[in-house]
Amino acid sequence: MKKKSKWNKYMILSIVSLLVGVFLWWLVTDGLSAVKSNILPAPTTVVKTFIKKLYDPNPEGGTLFVHLLSSLKVALSGYGLGIILGIPLGIIMAWYSRIEMTVRPVFDLVRTVPGVAWIPVMVSLAGIGLLSKALVIFISAMVATVINTYSGIKQTKEVHLWVGQTFGASDWELLTQIAIPSAQPMILTGCKIALGSAWTTLVAAELLASTKGIGYMIQQARGIYRMDIVIVGMVIIGLTGAALTGLISLIEKRILKGGRY
Amino acid sequence: MAEQRTLIVCDHVSKEFQTPEGVFKVIEDLNIKVKENEFLVLFGPGQCGKTTILNTFAGFEIPTSGEITVNGKKVTRPGSERGMVFQTTALFPWFKVMGNVEYGPKVRGESKAKRRERAQHYIDLVGLQGFENSYPIKLSGGMKQRVGIARAYCNEPLLLLMDEPFGHLDAQTRYLMQEELMRIWQQEKRTIIFVTNNIEEAVYLADRILVLSNCPTGVKAEYEINLPHPRQYTDPEFLRLRREINDVIDHTL
Amino acid sequence: MSISWIKNGRKFAYGTFGILLFGTIWFFATNGTNLGKILPDPITVLKKFFVSFAEPIGTKTMTLHILTSLRRMLLPYLTACVTGIVLGMVIGWYKPLEAIIKPYIELIRPIPPIAWIPLSIAWFGFAEMSKYFLIFLACFPTITINTYSGVRSVDETIVRAARMLGAKDRQLFATVVMPSTVPYIFAGLQVAIGSSWATIVAAEMIRSSEGVGWLIISGQETSNMSQVLVGIVAIALTGLLLVSFMRLLETKLCAWNERGA
Repeated sequence: MKKKSKWNKYMILSIVSLLVGVFLWWLVTDGLSAVKSNILPAPTTVVKTFIKKLYDPNPEGGTLFVHLLSSLKVALSGYGLGIILGIPLGIIMAWYSRIEMTVRPVFDLVRTVPGVAWIPVMVSLAGIGLLSKALVIFISAMVATVINTYSGIKQTKEVHLWVGQTFGASDWELLTQIAIPSAQPMILTGCKIALGSAWTTLVAAELLASTKGIGYMIQQARGIYRMDIVIVGMVIIGLTGAALTGLISLIEKRILKGGRY
Repeated sequence: MAEQRTLIVCDHVSKEFQTPEGVFKVIEDLNIKVKENEFLVLFGPGQCGKTTILNTFAGFEIPTSGEITVNGKKVTRPGSERGMVFQTTALFPWFKVMGNVEYGPKVRGESKAKRRERAQHYIDLVGLQGFENSYPIKLSGGMKQRVGIARAYCNEPLLLLMDEPFGHLDAQTRYLMQEELMRIWQQEKRTIIFVTNNIEEAVYLADRILVLSNCPTGVKAEYEINLPHPRQYTDPEFLRLRREINDVIDHTL
Repeated sequence: MSISWIKNGRKFAYGTFGILLFGTIWFFATNGTNLGKILPDPITVLKKFFVSFAEPIGTKTMTLHILTSLRRMLLPYLTACVTGIVLGMVIGWYKPLEAIIKPYIELIRPIPPIAWIPLSIAWFGFAEMSKYFLIFLACFPTITINTYSGVRSVDETIVRAARMLGAKDRQLFATVVMPSTVPYIFAGLQVAIGSSWATIVAAEMIRSSEGVGWLIISGQETSNMSQVLVGIVAIALTGLLLVSFMRLLETKLCAWNERGA
């Protein structure tokens, strides 16, 4: 009884705090007109614009759905390719030490280059369309996946491997029956992180070189001083990113019913 | 032998916890008197009340009714006159051995020179000379527990509480630590309340054993052990006592 | 002793082989084929990279470009470190403050820092402040939340031990809570430096007149692919330096901790 009301007390505090924040926002923009709307629009404006953008393609050429769909298409295709290649690469690097020693330095160098930086290279190779952006996203998603998959395999408990060996398992069997299953949690974490990375890289790519998508929408909106659209875009980006991560968490719960060992 | 004075009085202590299922009575009308420099062992079945009793003595828990007095003062919160050695050692991993052992005097404001000297004395006492500058992560389980003992001792408490301190150690180390603890205690006498569920350990160490019952915990039987130190696990009298106490537990289970 | 010599020697040999292999593939891919019309071969790139330390690209030499980018990143990063650690500790320790402040941080977190670029440009123009603002936003939530997690994860038994030995509240905080939080803070700092570096590169690519990100984008604009690749090399090497530095710091600060690889 005591504990439950304590929990509620803090939740109420949080909600009040957020409401006060929104109120101050409104006060500063609409209430006192202290800040111009091309710098910070009022919360009411943002909400109105959000609703409007759901069906109105003006002023930059697409509704929210159109932009979002385009962004998701690019992001998920790059991401998909990234994890499909990244997971095996991570496993191989973690299991076969010679391959690791060879690939490591090159990988460490590539890894510190943010996905965005590859855009000019990809654009000159693949043009300005979906492919160049997907490739850039592929690189950043793959890097994140490899790192986590590698960690996951490396953390396989020696004891488990020894048990396998006493049963006469071959190297391949040890890898596929013991190491990979026990690395599942970390591999899934890697997928989550890679998704975040892919989504971020997508936004950056769209800010730089795109003709549609949410990033493009924001960039165009800034050019015509429609900060309300910019904020709507940012909110959508945040929500979509969180939703995608949440989706993987749900899948994770389904797959990992067994729990951690 | 001069009559030892009573240092600690546990008077009609009860402790209950509120749980979603209702009130859970852990301790029921506990009455204990502990003499100065006595080695008292609380012996009982696992998972019931022993740690709570110790926590009440330490001041981490407040009794629902009744009170505990140490040296005349009522216990209401943790304090440096009641030291504790934890089952999980609870060493500070970011301090070296010296940093851990001198912690008590340090937070109580003692000067560096004095507390270093004192800490060194106790580090030597527990047999860890040479390891002053090691981090706990580099130490074995037995060594860590020695640090725990030195740390508690260094604060010069009136009472030392030990919560199954050797519970996590392997059998060999456990026997070794029991001997070590006896040696340390013989060299520097303190009042000790020692909790264990291992009957051998209890008979080996104790001046007096209080056999506890299952929840709600109370004292079911009391035994004075008058064997001379160092005791032999295979001594006939040792084995007789062990059998007798064992029988008592069977009854209470 | 000698075994670690052999191990390190092998690592070095395989690693060098890997880099040379990569370079060779690159060389033959560009020298003999159509690819060479788009991308320069590795020798040209390396030559240009080393030359740029003496001869300026644009108005600055390579050293200055790298230092500019670092400066832009480190100033806000350090500010975010100080404020983030302090705030993280405060909301970790005082539940009411956590209820009031944490929701805002959780709201900012899912939005990729890059999505803030249009807003920061609208608010601060193209002055350096817009980049400082951006990097600050990139690091602050991570560092704060990691510190917060650290404070909340203090081992209860160790707190009891300290109290039992006579520590008062302030001493408890300084000698128990703070040290036990250091590994968590450090993890946050490492993640933050990675995302800051990525963000500053992206920000420079979008709008700037010097710095490693600018190297890439101006290279693209003048169809100077070797400059683009030189920029990438600079980014990779500086990034590697940053990461190595953080790892070194960690071995010094967290010597007592159980961190594996």
